Amino acid sequence: MALSVTARLSPAANNILFLSFASILATGFFMLPGKPDNTYQSAAPVAVIAPDCAKAKGIAKVVCLSDNFKAMLNAEQLAKLQLPYSKADAQKWSNLPATFPTAKRIGIKFGDLTPEQLQAAMALLKEVSGTAANEGYDEMQQLRNADDYLAIKKSSDYGSGHFYMALLGTPSASGTFEIQYGGHHTAFANTYKDGLLIGATPSFRGAEPFGKFEQNGRSNEPMVQEHAAFAAILASLTPEQQQAARLTNTFRDVVLGPNKDGQFPATPLGIKCGTLSAAQKKLVIAAINTYTDDIVEKDAAVYLKKYTKELDNTYLSFTGTTDFVTRNDYMRLDGPSLWLEYVSQNGVVYAGIHPHSVWRDKTTDYGGN
Amino acid sequence: MPLPELESAVDHPITNITTDPFFRLYFAQHIRAFTGGDNWRTTITSVKVTNARDAAVGKYQQVELTFKLTPVNAADLRKFTFAYDVILHQVVTHEALVLLQQDWYNGINEESAARVIGTIKLDVPSGKIYPLDISLEKGSAWKGFVSMLKLGMQHIKEGTDHLLFLIVLLLPAMLIAKNKNWGSFGGLKYSLTNLIKIITAFTIGHSITLLLCASGWLTVPSQPIEVLIACSILVSAAHAVRPLFPGREVYIAGGFGLIHGMAFASVLAGLDLNVSTLALSILGFNLGIELMQLFIILIIAPWLILLSKTRVYQWFRVPAAILAGVAALGWIVERVNGKSNAITLALNNITPYAPRLIILLAIAACLFSIKLNSRQPVDSHK
Repeated sequence: MALSVTARLSPAANNILFLSFASILATGFFMLPGKPDNTYQSAAPVAVIAPDCAKAKGIAKVVCLSDNFKAMLNAEQLAKLQLPYSKADAQKWSNLPATFPTAKRIGIKFGDLTPEQLQAAMALLKEVSGTAANEGYDEMQQLRNADDYLAIKKSSDYGSGHFYMALLGTPSASGTFEIQYGGHHTAFANTYKDGLLIGATPSFRGAEPFGKFEQNGRSNEPMVQEHAAFAAILASLTPEQQQAARLTNTFRDVVLGPNKDGQFPATPLGIKCGTLSAAQKKLVIAAINTYTDDIVEKDAAVYLKKYTKELDNTYLSFTGTTDFVTRNDYMRLDGPSLWLEYVSQNGVVYAGIHPHSVWRDKTTDYGGN
Repeated sequence: MPLPELESAVDHPITNITTDPFFRLYFAQHIRAFTGGDNWRTTITSVKVTNARDAAVGKYQQVELTFKLTPVNAADLRKFTFAYDVILHQVVTHEALVLLQQDWYNGINEESAARVIGTIKLDVPSGKIYPLDISLEKGSAWKGFVSMLKLGMQHIKEGTDHLLFLIVLLLPAMLIAKNKNWGSFGGLKYSLTNLIKIITAFTIGHSITLLLCASGWLTVPSQPIEVLIACSILVSAAHAVRPLFPGREVYIAGGFGLIHGMAFASVLAGLDLNVSTLALSILGFNLGIELMQLFIILIIAPWLILLSKTRVYQWFRVPAAILAGVAALGWIVERVNGKSNAITLALNNITPYAPRLIILLAIAACLFSIKLNSRQPVDSHK
């Protein structure tokens, strides 16, 4: 009997027993299990479309892929991913690394996903993004690779594991929902209503390192198309046009980044695109195209049509040097609906510059909500 | 402010910012305050470049600027317009965050989180930079006093080293020393008298130096004081294992109390209190320290007394004292070389579990005194 055994122990042994028991108990308090956290991937995840969704099209496919991803999550993960639709949550995006205290993101962290869950998440992102090279889904992948590059070279504060996704409202062919995805230098916000895309913004893209780099088994060069398109506009301006378009202030970042919703200037600055030559207008449209191409073709065409129609009443302004590769070089397109900013910011991790850029739409940011 | 931001804002080389008259003038021009039509006087106190570090960003340089704004009429101190556009006048993506870091009459000091008053930034729709209207509540002496009381309590609650010194000193206070060893329980009256004497001596000790240092009559460097505090734990831990100064604990408590008081004073010194509020601050802070100290002793001492009546006590006292000694060594090393070590890191992890450890102590004390009392009567030592 256990009791008699205890009774027979010498007092000293008894005390040692008690002490060791107490210390084991005490140690137990401190040994809380930690969660796995994969800061970065050594290879880019592949988007794997669930067989059941392969034949679906349009909104049905988006819903199918969302449902498939959700079905792979446990209750705790699902509660993080699937939230009710609210503008307050939709506004919680940032361009800063997730480890910055001011970068408030919601949703599920990619570093907490299993490889299979990650593949399903990427399949959903691919389905709602553009297919052009170095735009849309390809650009997203490259920006994840850029952060993995920083994670390896600089600090575990970076990395594609620090990216988040949230579904605000239940994806469905009826009703409102937003697919929100983002991380360092990326903010993606597709808002759907009754099966239609009613908002593709605020959309933030930035890149560091800027220029060619190898990561996750491929060569990457995100944002170079955007940069080249803006530089081409600037190069085409006559000295008189430059003077009219030039801003006197200095911009070290975009003006309407996160937490700056609905704050468009009352009076647009710069030169009216209606005064530009046909060739120059083409260059402006080409620049806008590097943003609209981030969403699926059919929706991109709708936005591009609207912005083309409004082009004559869209203002172009810039500041800094005209080579457009010096720090604080900045350009803005401010139209009746369009808001586009591109800035060559100081390198943060590396010397040189790195771009920050935001695409907003004055009427359809957050789907007009 | 980050140095590159300032660089982008001024067309002037930043080579010797501390003495360059250009920057004195620049800052004075871009920092103003006024009440109605009365312009305050702006005095630039110091300008220097310091290194800052951020895990994600790495090292970067920042400009630290201190300045003083003096109103024409002292009554305007709580209501004025702050017109600040350093950097902002040119770099419109810059933002200036205005914090209220200290307002004694409203119970705001550095220890409690500073309050954000507002941000001065470009208003994009209008393209203008608006000055910040500042209007602070009047506050009261009572509010200030209560916040100092809370600060004192907080300081003891978080000041593991102060508590550990006192608790470890109390460990053998109920025992009678004999033949250079700790003997058995000295009786309830003996224990209580000893406890009260030690606590009172500690209180008198730290109150004296707190008053002297906080009022500026005595200035001491903080690092050696912190090291001495860690040493005080080592001494009391050694004494808890074997009696080093039996019967003279009161002097040790009082003496080291003087040292601990100097550390308490450094908290107040960091608040940069002005003369009018100093007396109330010292009183409130010290009272807070006493209250928290008394509370902690009240929840620990009964179990120590109970346990010290049993034979098990040595099995608690000695390991506890050794652990405290190890902690003290960890602190001594940390405070000498300025780097945290395995011991101090472990201590940071253990501290949150202190309440649970006290509960464990209470349970153990009850169990053992019931068990041993039922088996045999405790020898009463004459």
